[in-house]
Amino acid sequence: MRRDSFAGFHPFVNLAYFALVIGCSMAFMHPLSLAISLIGALSYSVVLNGRKAILFNLIYMLPLLLVLAAFNPLFNHAGATILFYLPNGNHVTKESIVYGVAAACMYVTVIIWFSCFNKVMTSDKLIYLFGKVMPALSLILSMTLRFVPRYRHQLSVISQAQRCIGRDVTQGNFIQKARGGLRMVSILTTWAFENAIETADSMKARGYGLPKRTSFSIYRFDRRDIIVLAILTALAAVVLAGAAWGSNSIRFFPSIAVKGYSPFGAAVYGAYFIVCLLPVMLQLMEEVKWRFIESKA
Amino acid sequence: MEIYRIQGLSFAFPGQEKKALSSINLTISSGEFVTVIGKSGSGKSTLLRQLKPVLAPHGTRSGFIEYNGKPLGEVGHRTQAAEIGFVLQHPDNSIVTDKVWHELAFGLESLGLNVGTIRLRVAEMASFFGIQTWFHRSVTELSGGQKQLLALASVMAMHPSVLILDEPTSQLDPIAAADFLATVGKINRELGTTVIMTEHRLEEVLPLSDRLVVMDDGCIIADDTPQISGRKLHELGHPMYASMPAPMRIYTSVETGAIFSQQLPLTVKEGRQWLLNHFSNGAVEPAMEIEEDLVAADRPIAIEFRDVWFKYEKTGPDIIKDLSIRVPKGEFHCIVGGNGTGKSTALSLLAGIVRPYRGKVLLEGRQPSSMKTSDLFRKFLGVLPQNPQALFVKKTVELDLYDILSDSGLSHEQQKLKVQDVTVFAELEPLLAKHPYDLSGGEQQRAALAKVLLLEPSILILDEPTKGLDGFFKEKLGLFLQKLNAQGVTILMVSHDVEFCAKYGEVCSMFFDGAVVSSGSAESFFSGNSFYTTSANRMARHLWRDAVTVEGVVQRCLNSRKM
Repeated sequence: MRRDSFAGFHPFVNLAYFALVIGCSMAFMHPLSLAISLIGALSYSVVLNGRKAILFNLIYMLPLLLVLAAFNPLFNHAGATILFYLPNGNHVTKESIVYGVAAACMYVTVIIWFSCFNKVMTSDKLIYLFGKVMPALSLILSMTLRFVPRYRHQLSVISQAQRCIGRDVTQGNFIQKARGGLRMVSILTTWAFENAIETADSMKARGYGLPKRTSFSIYRFDRRDIIVLAILTALAAVVLAGAAWGSNSIRFFPSIAVKGYSPFGAAVYGAYFIVCLLPVMLQLMEEVKWRFIESKA
Repeated sequence: MEIYRIQGLSFAFPGQEKKALSSINLTISSGEFVTVIGKSGSGKSTLLRQLKPVLAPHGTRSGFIEYNGKPLGEVGHRTQAAEIGFVLQHPDNSIVTDKVWHELAFGLESLGLNVGTIRLRVAEMASFFGIQTWFHRSVTELSGGQKQLLALASVMAMHPSVLILDEPTSQLDPIAAADFLATVGKINRELGTTVIMTEHRLEEVLPLSDRLVVMDDGCIIADDTPQISGRKLHELGHPMYASMPAPMRIYTSVETGAIFSQQLPLTVKEGRQWLLNHFSNGAVEPAMEIEEDLVAADRPIAIEFRDVWFKYEKTGPDIIKDLSIRVPKGEFHCIVGGNGTGKSTALSLLAGIVRPYRGKVLLEGRQPSSMKTSDLFRKFLGVLPQNPQALFVKKTVELDLYDILSDSGLSHEQQKLKVQDVTVFAELEPLLAKHPYDLSGGEQQRAALAKVLLLEPSILILDEPTKGLDGFFKEKLGLFLQKLNAQGVTILMVSHDVEFCAKYGEVCSMFFDGAVVSSGSAESFFSGNSFYTTSANRMARHLWRDAVTVEGVVQRCLNSRKM
């Protein structure tokens, strides 16, 4: 993964950001809101994944968007403005087409935001955040992440060993295969129990089970986390106030209705724009600064 | 000051008459480095576990143990967790969490330290152990040596005053093991931590140790400086003496009588000096030229690699590069070489698990990857995996042996006969009723070997068979392999264990960077190497270049005495 400035913030900031932006993307159906969020999601995914993201968006997301947009008017016939009739006699309305496009946009945007979420919120960060709520759960998650690859490796060791004595799931007829598979699972279970005893010893030897266990993490909540969180909170307040006022809401059926221009409405969109593009802006700022430092050196 | 005082300690496992430990008396002072040795099953591990009550097995105990002047039972859990560090044998089992940094902090979290303190301690330990470069990694990405170092560091982060290690290097290759032991030595020297460890690699440990405690059948039979303990073992004629460092064994075999009261050499350096002082008149024999082609024309070839190239992924690096080996029928061939040079991959190629993308792998002229498994693995090719546990499927060793014959089409009587034969051969009689996982490492190895032998292989492939075995079991395994070899079985063995290969191998090859760099009869092979050779050879090569084994050096010393 390339280094991303926003991913380097405290996990709590990351989580708060994604909660806000994904929530807003799902709630705001106004075309302008949708466009802003889509631009934000697209540009951030490109920052995170580079060329792979462009390909992913073009090959999967664009067709998905078109298909979803086309399907709505075929099945949804609500709306006042009838454009034409389908061969089977159903009518296609302007509202259902617009709604289809908007819903498809929303859907695709949320998927792209989630792909960014996946990239930024690594297992460590999630474990850390869970651990804040339930310390025991975080240890269990961490141990699971340790044991799953281990068991998988051992399974391949067993499979190879068994194969070399002519016993393997890939050999023989169906019954032999099933027996071979069962045998492997049985060996793995015995092995896992046997080794878990030593793991338990290792935990006990290092004082596991003493009262008042603490939870350590490598993350620190420093000044830039506070600054970004403060900015984010202020912007979120403006956006949510706008949503409460209805300045970025839209009515699709029976006829399309949006609120007209107002300075407050413009401020709400401005704030939303900054929110959606915040990670990209942070990255750009860092890059500009880096160039500047390099040019001085 | 005494950190441990053990008096009259006896211990028996539940339901067993025989005592695992009987009247042990041992005093360990603060800052000492104590090495405990003994055959498997002699009670070493049981003794070590008695020193940390949370790990002590259940059973009946008498006598008492004092820790820092207080009965060990009265030491609180918290103190015990922090002050008595315990490192286990298998690094994979002792690591609990998925990230290196989290593992380092695990014990400190248990102690309930605050985040600031943990951060400092973790940073200190990572720097002391040189972990900072892989601090953020997942545990799965680490090598065996790194894992064991991590297990040690995570114990050291709790600032123990005594460090107990139970065969910590048995799962490591020689280079990782030497690194690990050097680190333990550094902890003892620079931090003053008391170290109590059991270990097989005496060559590296004894120079670090202040004391050598030898156990046999639950009793301490020697407890003194390594030199004096070694001498005592020699006087007793005890079988454990066979695992003492080569220089010491050579010395005691050559020097008998009055000079015997002198210091025994422990290291290659001391051994060399002693040889120089006493045998410098022995002329240096010229190194033998490595014979180019050992394969006599009349012997049919059992295993052949012909210009083999292999890689795991299309764009990945070549793992095997232009590998050519020919092993004639009935040969005992050893392949030595470092980690990650492709040795194990070569074995996978032989077993037909992977195919070369260029060149040919032939077993008696046939390609294993295109043979039917029933033809390949029945009465033809036997493979003993590195971890014998992967072979066991049943509740007892006996059932396990029968299991492999279950679809052989033999009558029950015939099966019984075969199992009996192999049981006698591998000396498994007393172990038949046990669960395979309850056997010791050496016993498991033998049971697995028996299982493979029931398939009557004419070619036997072994991957690191001596891993984790003590000197006694190694010798036993070596003799088994020689016996099999004498029956006409071709043996190809991959190993790190130079001493074992020198002693039992017929032909040795050195694997490096995906191919064999040199090959020759064991003697000429090791005498041609300067570093990758036995310690007996390193000790004596300035006088007799071709003396590879302890016996060889002793022979030459005695000969030159006579002259």
